[in-house]
Amino acid sequence: MSEKTIDRRTLLASLATSAAGIALSQHSSAGTRVAADSQEIKKWDIVTDVLVAGSGAAGISAAIDARRGGADVLVVEKLNKLGGSSALSGGVIYAGGGTKLQKALGFSDSVESMYHYIAHSGRKHPHLDKIQRYCEQSVAHFDWLVDNGVPYNKRFSNGKGLGFDEASLYYSGSEEAWPWRDECKPAPRGHVPWEKGHQGGKRLMRSLLASAKKLGVKTQKRVCGERLVVESDGRVTGMLVDIKGERAAIKAKRGIVLACGGFIHNREMVKLYAPELYDCSVPWANAGDLGIGIQMGMGAGAAALRMDQGFAIGPIYPPENTIAGIAVNQMGQRLTSEEGYHAVMGNIVTYKQDGIAYFICDKDSDRPQGDDNQPLVAEANTIKELEQKAGFPIGSLQMSVNYYNEHAKNGVDPMFHKSKKYLSPIVKPPFKVYDLSVDKTMYSSHTFGGLQTNVNSQVINVWGEVINGLYAAGRNTSGLPTSPYIASGISVGDCTFFGRQAGQHAATNKG
Amino acid sequence: MKTILYWMFFTTKTAALSVTVALMLAFNTRAESLSEFTGDAEKGRLVFAQCRTCHYPEKIIGHHNGPNLHAIFGKVAGKQVGFDDYSETFKAAQFVWTEELLFAWLANVEAMFPETTMMSLGVTDPQQRADLIAYLKRFR
Repeated sequence: MSEKTIDRRTLLASLATSAAGIALSQHSSAGTRVAADSQEIKKWDIVTDVLVAGSGAAGISAAIDARRGGADVLVVEKLNKLGGSSALSGGVIYAGGGTKLQKALGFSDSVESMYHYIAHSGRKHPHLDKIQRYCEQSVAHFDWLVDNGVPYNKRFSNGKGLGFDEASLYYSGSEEAWPWRDECKPAPRGHVPWEKGHQGGKRLMRSLLASAKKLGVKTQKRVCGERLVVESDGRVTGMLVDIKGERAAIKAKRGIVLACGGFIHNREMVKLYAPELYDCSVPWANAGDLGIGIQMGMGAGAAALRMDQGFAIGPIYPPENTIAGIAVNQMGQRLTSEEGYHAVMGNIVTYKQDGIAYFICDKDSDRPQGDDNQPLVAEANTIKELEQKAGFPIGSLQMSVNYYNEHAKNGVDPMFHKSKKYLSPIVKPPFKVYDLSVDKTMYSSHTFGGLQTNVNSQVINVWGEVINGLYAAGRNTSGLPTSPYIASGISVGDCTFFGRQAGQHAATNKG
Repeated sequence: MKTILYWMFFTTKTAALSVTVALMLAFNTRAESLSEFTGDAEKGRLVFAQCRTCHYPEKIIGHHNGPNLHAIFGKVAGKQVGFDDYSETFKAAQFVWTEELLFAWLANVEAMFPETTMMSLGVTDPQQRADLIAYLKRFR
């Protein structure tokens, strides 16, 4: 095997000759992700210390810290634009425990409160070791973002959801909703680089990409990973890639970081692994979220966890007046507190109600005019008539609304403890039913399942052992986000933080 | 095919329509035509929804990761004021967006404009493309 140092010219030159360098085994077929035996590689077309597949928040954070750790780093990206789905996201980072921004705006927070909220508000039995490291190092991680040029405004918003104001700090989850407001002291932890029109993700990635470039991280677009290359002792040492239709072999002397995102755009894979998400109307990610990194890892024996879980939302707010309405199932029964983070309701609808739900409101809690997101099912001047028109079981909706109104007029919600400021009886006609079902309203979804990794972002195989030389981060892994998704910023926060762990560990890995 | 592309980028607006037709024939190998389909705007609402990661058709929201799509048909591609993130392909483009051109483009995004930075897999189903276009036409 020949080795050479990579530079841009080498990389480009290698594109022309790459196909000749590989002798694929007879078992190989187009589309397979089964790892290749290193014996099959006659010549490495490109050699680097650390190879990162994917240029979203996880990949670029890995690249930055690997480069800072002294490694030569090459990032390859399948698409013609760097930034991944992170660049299309809100760019929120869930951070706390007393970050500089929290302190500057007068909020106190603790690692313990943050840990309690993340550990207990999502799905059962989460990755507690990851949550602990994430929370303990959150203050330093926020400093890292700032040091890498991510801009934050010293401004707080008390609105629910990302606003159109210039705030960089807000309550991005259900911290103020019952029962969390009683169990762990609420603090605003959504840290978002401000960019006009919800473009925090674009701003975040522009900063991280600029920082990576300044540090000397090499990037190459239009390069798509196909298969990992494994040595006889199990170490992963390379990747076979497709460069504009030509195949090439890239050797990574210290490690490979899979940061290729989730798989919501691979519809067959979604149907197989995450059937509930398959029914959600809107795949919410950029075109690269095809599960290629997960498949490459599985092809090398990696375990894949929580593959059915994901983000699924059909928000009823903003505007906030709608929160006074109620969400019910097809039996007319109320589902949850409507003030909770919208993915919490999304989880209930998607996974526990067969994807079917409705929003009930009166004149004051009605949806804004001209908003075509949720289809109107029925409209009437009494709840009884509304129930009949919409086809709820006789008496069911009347019972739910009467019970809700009876207590809402006294400012309480015995069933779900919605905050007093959002409680208002549903009494002013016209009354309306909107469809909140996952296949009728705009229901955005993406996946949370992925490869198993440890706190150093090393990939774990199906027997529970570390796969030497292989790392993964972001939605390529099963990380902090679970169903229900508990706050904006958990996903991109997880991407950046565990991307960094991957980069740091890979840089020091001597095989 | 490359000749047609080249011509398109440097042609004048007045010639754009005929170029559009040529492009449709060149790229739409299944020779589907928008005229064969009746778009359903209500169904198009959800087909378009995935585009909302980057594009809004509501004028008031403005540009996002991609340019705003309010009254997009009839506009010259790649020239909207306030959007500074066009790919070189669209900066240089001088054609006018028509329903037919969008119908052809979304069939195979990278085949028509290989250097686009639009991060979309397109919409392979022609009926869904027609629905999407019917929906976008609401915003004008």
